[in-house]
Amino acid sequence: MNKLFAVIKKEYKTIVKKKSFIIMTILTPVLMAGMMVVPVLLMKVDRSDKKIAVADYAGGYIQALSAGPAKKGAKPKGKLDMDAMNEMPELPGRISFHPVQLGGRDAAGLLREYEQKVLKKEIDGLLLIPADVKSRRQVSYYSTSISDFTTLNFIESTLRTAISRQLLLERQIDPAVVDEATREISMETFKVKKEGTTKSDSGMDYMMSLFMIIILFMILINYGQIIMRGVLEEKTSRISELLISSARATHIFYGKLLGIGLAGLTQVALWILLAVILVSRFSGMVDAAILSFLTPEIAFYFVIFFILGFFIYAIPYAFIGAAVNTDQEAQQFASVLSVLIIVPYILGISALQNPNSTLTLVASLFPLFTPILMFMRITTAVPPLWQILASIGLCVLTIWGLAWLGAKIFRVGMLMYGKKPSLGEMLRWVRYK
Amino acid sequence: MSEWALSLHDLVKDFDGKRAVDHISFTVKRGEILGLLGPNGAGKTTTIRMVMDIIAPDAGRVEILGEGLSEKVKDRIGFLPEERGLYRKLKVMDTLLFFGELKGMKAAAARERGRRLLEQFQLAGYEEKKVEELSKGMAQKLQFITTILHDPELLILDEPFSGLDPLNIELIQGIILERRRKGTTIIYSTHLMEYAEKTVDSLVMIDQGRKVLDGTLAAVKAEYGRKFIRLQYEGDARFVAGLPYVRSSRDSGREMEIELEDLSKREQLLRDLLGRVTVNGFQLSEPSLQNIFIRKVREGAGA
Repeated sequence: MNKLFAVIKKEYKTIVKKKSFIIMTILTPVLMAGMMVVPVLLMKVDRSDKKIAVADYAGGYIQALSAGPAKKGAKPKGKLDMDAMNEMPELPGRISFHPVQLGGRDAAGLLREYEQKVLKKEIDGLLLIPADVKSRRQVSYYSTSISDFTTLNFIESTLRTAISRQLLLERQIDPAVVDEATREISMETFKVKKEGTTKSDSGMDYMMSLFMIIILFMILINYGQIIMRGVLEEKTSRISELLISSARATHIFYGKLLGIGLAGLTQVALWILLAVILVSRFSGMVDAAILSFLTPEIAFYFVIFFILGFFIYAIPYAFIGAAVNTDQEAQQFASVLSVLIIVPYILGISALQNPNSTLTLVASLFPLFTPILMFMRITTAVPPLWQILASIGLCVLTIWGLAWLGAKIFRVGMLMYGKKPSLGEMLRWVRYK
Repeated sequence: MSEWALSLHDLVKDFDGKRAVDHISFTVKRGEILGLLGPNGAGKTTTIRMVMDIIAPDAGRVEILGEGLSEKVKDRIGFLPEERGLYRKLKVMDTLLFFGELKGMKAAAARERGRRLLEQFQLAGYEEKKVEELSKGMAQKLQFITTILHDPELLILDEPFSGLDPLNIELIQGIILERRRKGTTIIYSTHLMEYAEKTVDSLVMIDQGRKVLDGTLAAVKAEYGRKFIRLQYEGDARFVAGLPYVRSSRDSGREMEIELEDLSKREQLLRDLLGRVTVNGFQLSEPSLQNIFIRKVREGAGA
């Protein structure tokens, strides 16, 4: 047992003292925070100014457009808010409206003139508001780009509100009532969970799930490769002979897995700690949706599925390290294994839309896919507890089998030099005592 | 306690249908230095790997320190593999701690003894250096320290001198002799006969997987020594090899080592030489291990 601990200690210290470990531990949360914040900032900054000419035959709507739709109430500013994406119609940003001097010209003549201006990019678009807009409810917009939904939504909802107000005011209704009647509404989304319902943004949930899965995927591959290279180093440098002649192969193999696994766990724990510190320090800048997503429960499952995923993938990586002789051979086999890890990842991305489908359910119970897929389901749809427990149970059984097989392959493969072993040969190793 | 530190019984190992070790048996007495001699590819390393349980023999049995190779027994053995290897990224002291603990030592004891050995090997001050920063010779010395760190009862060294400069060879030889004075049993394999000659108590020679000779150094030398004539000459002495009572000869041009069927034929040989070559010197000689080795290997090869 002391020898097992000696191996665990050595493997753990070797990884934790590496510069790359320290850099990754600090950099990953920073990058992650950056990935969450930057798109929002970009969305805010990257709105190019828009100049729209308005030919207002009906009259009076240009003021309404410049004012924007009725506010639903003051919004706290200075927050990095994912909602901002959906609420852009409220923030006219840099859209400016310029009245066209009609001068008695008809729409057709105006259009010919302004088509040229649009093409020359003097203006971004022309909005034609016909005189009978109130009854026909029809306006026309001419632009080189008509896919700018933010702008289109803004114009539509503003005009709708303006017409409604006008109609109501014409009927002598109290302006205060009109204000009240034409206020915008907004919709908040809530996720219903057994533990309680929380405010949650669907887009935010999707992105956070994706982030967590990417991170899980990355560290599983990373630690798998660390094990593979470690085993290969021992094999090519013949340290394996010293190890085998000093301790039981099982102790060396399990010690290696546990030591490297603990190092991985340390990294995950540090990330969680850093996330807690960052969130509490800068809570004012973090969206409530992120806070509601990063529950202790999610962190707990992240750790659980990291551990399960680590063993499920690390042992095959160790097989590769023990069975091959050179780095190139190892990379060939490792890329095959990476594909096996990518499958649940890809399934996961599509399953994010539909986390409760039968395919997702079955795939998430398949031990090789469980760590990524079941975790993904937990972050989005909260599967029944029995499914979570069943998937964990299946994983543990698989790991138990892999570990038994791994120790045998490790014992023999570590000491086989020169030629690539055939599959039949590897099966014979398993029977070796 | 048996008087044998190690005994091999009829070990056999095949690789891909080729027999690498062919029914090898020998015993090593406690406290002696045994040299395992033979050319490259003779099966020395394979034999040692079977002793160390790195590969399993196809047939035969190894008894080590009175029992099979259990975990407990592994702690009492120091093993230096033929191909050296240490963790390149690990620091010198961490390397010693790891291998010490792997041999069942307490960390404090490993540190203390490691420090003393580093000093003895002129590596003091390198404790915090990484292995990859050491020169090749230093790494070799460090490897040797990991082998003797836990004060083993039995040392098994596979080609301990290969790749060392003469100064370090002296150093390692000194350590080997010092260990033996303390009662450690030492087995080492080598093809460098001149070093073996100076240190071993007994020897086993193997060639093409077979044991061709074993015994104490004194007995082996005595057996072969009496039948050898060392001849210094000028002229053409090729006819000597064809003489009926000459078992073998080794011609170096001006000196020839001649093995007779029977020592009583030496006068006959002298008579045959006179008149055909100029004889500058003619004496009975004790052959070097080198000569015995070469002769035995040639015999084995059917030459």
